[in-house]
Amino acid sequence: MSLKNVLENWSDYRKGHEQGGHHDYEHMWVMAVDLDKCTGCNACSVACYAENNLAVVGKERMMKGQGMHWLRVERYWDEPQIGGDDGQFQSAGGSFLPMMCQHCNAATCEPVCPVAATYHTPDGLNAQVYNRCIGSRYCSNNCPYRLRYFNFFSYYEESWPEPLNQQLNPDLSVRDKGVMEKCTFCVQRIRTAKDTARREGRAVQDGDAVTACAQTCPTQAIVFGDMLDKESRVSKIWAKQQVELGKTKQVKANPELRGYRILEGLNTDPCIMYLDRVREV
Amino acid sequence: MQTKDINENIAWAQINADVLRSMESPRMGYWIAVAACLAMVACAVVAEIYQYQIGMGVGNLNWPHMWDIYIATFVFWIGMSHSGTLLSAILHIIHADWRKPIYRFAEAMTTFSLMTAGLFPIIHLGRVWNMYWVLPYVSDRGIWPNYRSPLVWDAFAITTYLTSSALFLFIGMIPDLAICRDNARGWRQKLYTVLSMGWQGDDRQWRNFRKIYLLMACFLIPLAVSVHSIVSADFAMSIMPGWHITSFPPYFVAGALYSGCAAIITLFIILRYFFRFDEYMTIPILEKTCKLTFAIAMVWSYLTLIEFASVWYGHDLVAKESLMERFVGPYSPFFWLMLFCGIICPFALAIEKMRRHLPTMFVVSLLLNLGMWLERWMIVTPTLATSHYPFAWDVMWPGMVQWAIVFGSFGWFGLLFLIFVKVFPSVSMYEVKEMVFHRRHAHRPDLAAKFHRRSSDQQPGDTASGQPRPEGA
Amino acid sequence: MSGNDINRRDFLKFMGLGGAGAVTLSGCDMPTTVTLEEGKEEVVSYLAPEEYVIPGIGVWYASTCQQCPSGCGVHGRVREGRVLKLEGNPDSPVNAGVLCQMGQASLQGHYNPDRITKPMVRKGGNLTEVSWEEAIELVNSKVGAANGKVAMLTGAMSGHQAELMDTYLAKIGGKDHFVYETINNAVAEAVNAEMFGSAQPRYNLDKAGAVLSFGADFLATWVSPMHFSQQYAKFRTGNRGVLIAVEPNMSLTGANADMWVPAKPGTEGVIALGVANVLISKKMVDGSVLPVDALATISQYGVDKVTAETGVGGDVLVRIATYLKERSPSLVLAGASAQSNTGGSQVVAAVNALNILLGNVGKTIGAEDAFPVKSLAPRRGSSAALAAFAKGADAGDYEVAFIYNTNPLYSAPAGLELNGKLAKVGLKVALSMFPDETTLAADVVLPLASPYEDWGTQVPGYLPSEGGLNVQQPLMRPLYSTVKGLGDVLLVLAKAAGAEELNQYADFYAYLQAGFAAMPASIKGGMSDAEFWSKSRQKGFVAVANSQGSLNVKVGDLAQVADKAGSDFPMHLAPAARAGMYDGRNANLPWLQEQPDPITKVFWDSWAELHPSTAAKLGVKEGDFIRVESAQGSLEVQVYVYKGVHPDVVAVPMGRGHDEYGRFASREKGVNPLKLIGGDVDAKSGELALYSTKVRVSKTGRSAEMPRLGGSESQVGRRLVSTVSADVYRRTEGGGNNVA
Repeated sequence: MSLKNVLENWSDYRKGHEQGGHHDYEHMWVMAVDLDKCTGCNACSVACYAENNLAVVGKERMMKGQGMHWLRVERYWDEPQIGGDDGQFQSAGGSFLPMMCQHCNAATCEPVCPVAATYHTPDGLNAQVYNRCIGSRYCSNNCPYRLRYFNFFSYYEESWPEPLNQQLNPDLSVRDKGVMEKCTFCVQRIRTAKDTARREGRAVQDGDAVTACAQTCPTQAIVFGDMLDKESRVSKIWAKQQVELGKTKQVKANPELRGYRILEGLNTDPCIMYLDRVREV
Repeated sequence: MQTKDINENIAWAQINADVLRSMESPRMGYWIAVAACLAMVACAVVAEIYQYQIGMGVGNLNWPHMWDIYIATFVFWIGMSHSGTLLSAILHIIHADWRKPIYRFAEAMTTFSLMTAGLFPIIHLGRVWNMYWVLPYVSDRGIWPNYRSPLVWDAFAITTYLTSSALFLFIGMIPDLAICRDNARGWRQKLYTVLSMGWQGDDRQWRNFRKIYLLMACFLIPLAVSVHSIVSADFAMSIMPGWHITSFPPYFVAGALYSGCAAIITLFIILRYFFRFDEYMTIPILEKTCKLTFAIAMVWSYLTLIEFASVWYGHDLVAKESLMERFVGPYSPFFWLMLFCGIICPFALAIEKMRRHLPTMFVVSLLLNLGMWLERWMIVTPTLATSHYPFAWDVMWPGMVQWAIVFGSFGWFGLLFLIFVKVFPSVSMYEVKEMVFHRRHAHRPDLAAKFHRRSSDQQPGDTASGQPRPEGA
Repeated sequence: MSGNDINRRDFLKFMGLGGAGAVTLSGCDMPTTVTLEEGKEEVVSYLAPEEYVIPGIGVWYASTCQQCPSGCGVHGRVREGRVLKLEGNPDSPVNAGVLCQMGQASLQGHYNPDRITKPMVRKGGNLTEVSWEEAIELVNSKVGAANGKVAMLTGAMSGHQAELMDTYLAKIGGKDHFVYETINNAVAEAVNAEMFGSAQPRYNLDKAGAVLSFGADFLATWVSPMHFSQQYAKFRTGNRGVLIAVEPNMSLTGANADMWVPAKPGTEGVIALGVANVLISKKMVDGSVLPVDALATISQYGVDKVTAETGVGGDVLVRIATYLKERSPSLVLAGASAQSNTGGSQVVAAVNALNILLGNVGKTIGAEDAFPVKSLAPRRGSSAALAAFAKGADAGDYEVAFIYNTNPLYSAPAGLELNGKLAKVGLKVALSMFPDETTLAADVVLPLASPYEDWGTQVPGYLPSEGGLNVQQPLMRPLYSTVKGLGDVLLVLAKAAGAEELNQYADFYAYLQAGFAAMPASIKGGMSDAEFWSKSRQKGFVAVANSQGSLNVKVGDLAQVADKAGSDFPMHLAPAARAGMYDGRNANLPWLQEQPDPITKVFWDSWAELHPSTAAKLGVKEGDFIRVESAQGSLEVQVYVYKGVHPDVVAVPMGRGHDEYGRFASREKGVNPLKLIGGDVDAKSGELALYSTKVRVSKTGRSAEMPRLGGSESQVGRRLVSTVSADVYRRTEGGGNNVA
């Protein structure tokens, strides 16, 4: 390792083990979201509330920005890539974007947590350990996507009055005030899939682990799976879109392909690839 | 017009008497001040208990405003703490002896503002009862803090700085505590006996004292610089536009020195007025402090403009947006007020007439500190309001709970300071004597020549100088 | 535990009891389960769980979602005896594994804290809790004395509950079963039946190259949204079809359109005829498929006339016509805003004519399929039914009215004046889960089990190919021992009314089982009764191999009904239906209240949509309150300003503004646009014309922060949602090249 080499390949060194490091992982959970199929219907978001014990905070607190929507469906009216829409009407509809934790391989939230409550699992997940979190909220400040949500209050009593609490998913905790939370890629479902596969003495197959959002998506715009399984649907989509994990610069043989990752320029190496929305122009 | 830093004909006994008088039984005004400070602290305590019980959301903290004026005030108080180090350590090393009458309270300010600042990272934690997890205590589960996090660096830096500056304050006070011991009765005598650690003022003690004091001063200077650099790292190490700025460490250190100096001017005027320290805290010393403050203000202004320029001429459009948001966005009135207080107001310090007019200086120094507080707020909040992600843009104004705790922090600081001035000498007696001693020499060249040779290797407390030894020293 | 023989399970129970006793003696607080079995109280230790309970392991059971009439199959995850999560049934022909937000949230209806748990009878003006026996006794006596003057007012129904309801109604001599749905497709059903001979033809969006939707929000609320969403996904892959939406305010479907064209409600037919006119005049299609009368009507709707009447420019008409022609086969749909007008039938007729002209019939529109057992057929809802009920009630035709699964006091247009008319019914019996407006106005309230506690079957109103009878089976024991399933209540009532043939059934479960046994062999597919019953429950539905018949085309008069001019009320009111609150039935589900509306991102509250130019004229901006007044009344609501609404339209989505309906619905009230709507009907079908109401909009001067999620509606130059042209898409992924 000469100095020259270090200087020339600085970005590779800088990325450390993220540079292709995930090939040693057991799994590498990733997602592909086709924004042309996404209709913005909110089914994914409600499924997330149901699966992950997300608190309902009420109007006042939602207005204050204290909601807990791990998966928020954003809607934009402009289309900067095709020149926007200056007409009298919104004649090409809206632009919908389901945003859940991007599980960045170079996650900016991870290094700043003072107590290492958020870290990367060998599954490629950006994990949040609620019990370890002390609520410094630095991670949320440092998330360029603003996908981390803080329990500003104890929501339990108000969110799940008896007997609504009986719906709570016992596979994961209900978070109390003072901890950060965010999309986990339904880690409890991944866990179940892995346990089932082990019990049955087989490898985890594509489709064994599906997040609640991907499962319920009415147009199947969200595809979830293991990047390391070359046969999985999601890894094929990534490959066909010529988007590669762990690459600072994406080189696409066909630059017209739709795959991209959000705020890619920040080099966070997100695990969710979005596919361009398409419109007749 | 007073031109001398200090009257060199002042008698040693006079110095002791003046300083010890300031520590005598407090009058009604003092108790009123204490009561006011206690009331402020009570506000904060009530607010904190409420916040602890209900959750961090009570002060309007939200997504994306995870941090707000708690962190801004934390940085503000850390900044304040730089004054003492500047006056005692840096000026000590460069032999600027006009610091001597005023460094004691500046050092106290350092310690107390750190004690105030240190509360904020704790108050702002969502689960404050687990705050000790930031420290690398030995856990049988082998769990350590995340050493990559600037917040952990903060914890180290602040605790180190607090310990060192408290030690520095204490060590520098030992000869004076001995004077107090010799003049006090009752509980005070017991206290000072313990604290003065058997100080007799013999040569060996003075020699060791000098060495350790210089050593501490040398140790503190890089520490002070690093502490505020590390605090700036909380922001500079992040990926957020408006925070991720290379010039933040020097910018923060300059801002810290700036607010510290401004606070010294404020306290200078207060102490001079209430304790009638006109003999020691003289107008020329104030002028020198003002000049120093002005210089630092200009450095800070330069760095502020540099920050804008580097963002403006850079290619980071998001950072540029964030900057423009500060210029014209909803927070812009505070931003412009910050620029006015921080860049325009210090020019009052450059005008001799204003500099020598105490009420003016009092107001100006408060304005400067207001500017510095606003600066920290304008770093924390507009960045969170306008970040990479437009969907998460939000304008948030801090709620009553946050204001109450910030308000209370001033009461807490004031309370500590009030206790200090009545328990400890807020003007360094032995250093003032030294200063007077040297000034006498300076005005009597014959004596200076006579002692020139010996003063180089055996300086203060020199018994062979023919001067009476300072009492109690 | 019948008989004296002790089986393994009982043995374990006794063991568990002993164990619990021992532990109790030792002074510990051991949690025990107290069950009522054969009238005895038993302490059953958790060591002897129900057979299907495996602690820590979720088991999935099939059932059917009842949140809207489209009948999606669900799988419910049951763990430790509680249902925790619903997912679409992957085998279901309706939804193939997916589920919308309402289906996901329906569990919150099941676990709702505001459920009614005890029967109630109005005594001295107040509803008082009584025993089931007393309530049923009262109902029976009143029904017995009613002499057949009994009406049923229900939401969309089908399957064995509907069959049983018919039996009961026949037994007591009642004739009127009104099936009312606010969000319906009734006008189109009437016109379709006339023009195609099929009320609800089968649509194949996936086979279409272009879809022109006149307010048919098939992605959210229209007919069978989950089924169409699946078709939509296919429609958008490969060669990627073009979606064009023409509607007064942007629906979810409109927001996904390539081309969104605003139209005043009621003028959709004019636009459809204008498109037909362009197609014919530009010789893009052969007009001879339509009769001469129709062609003559179309020829009147030249571009100039259409532009003058609707504001839609000739270039837009040509573009639409070109898409429809070039991407043939296409599909033209008419939804609520097009149908629900005084001239709604004519609008649908024009839309159907356009389909015929484009040659879509037989390609993207196929014949309806019916479930072979006629008695189980779907009773699709209409609002004409409500009008008829109101009329009958007003005339004093009903001594007793049963109201089930509908909340007309909330959803009836003000013009119907239902409150007063309903009061004329002697005894109003609400079969209900929730204290909604109608239930609280009833004289007898019979608390129903939730859909996930109850047995039932359902034939979807829109039957997709391979569709059939959905099985709704309980996913857990009732939360409250004092609620009963609809079928059980009907069975008790019918038996009391002298339906002796039902005496053989101990409960509705037995009735259902017998019903399955009685199904024709063609449906059973050679399985034994027991096998068929168990397989059906396991799968969640009974599939029927449907044969696609053909449609008989008959085109009548296409002339459009002109809009009533009114200077007092210059604007149109669009009481838009949105998935989420739907027709108001979901306002008590906190998940859906907290979900921002897909288009406006407003949560927990109502809003009015205004076009920027209209807002500028009024001098209002987002968050300002406006007053919307009609001849029926007025309401004040915050404004959301955007370019997705026609300048002459103010859209106030329905679903909020409940007076009752539990804590979540009434906490943040919102407004109910239906209370501004008059009694106008579509002349031909008698359907209430919800989109025909004209209103006046004025500024109130009040303003508040809009409860809306999102700091910026612009991407501010970032590549968040990136858009590419369809040409690029077809180049890279078109045809067989598709990757996703």
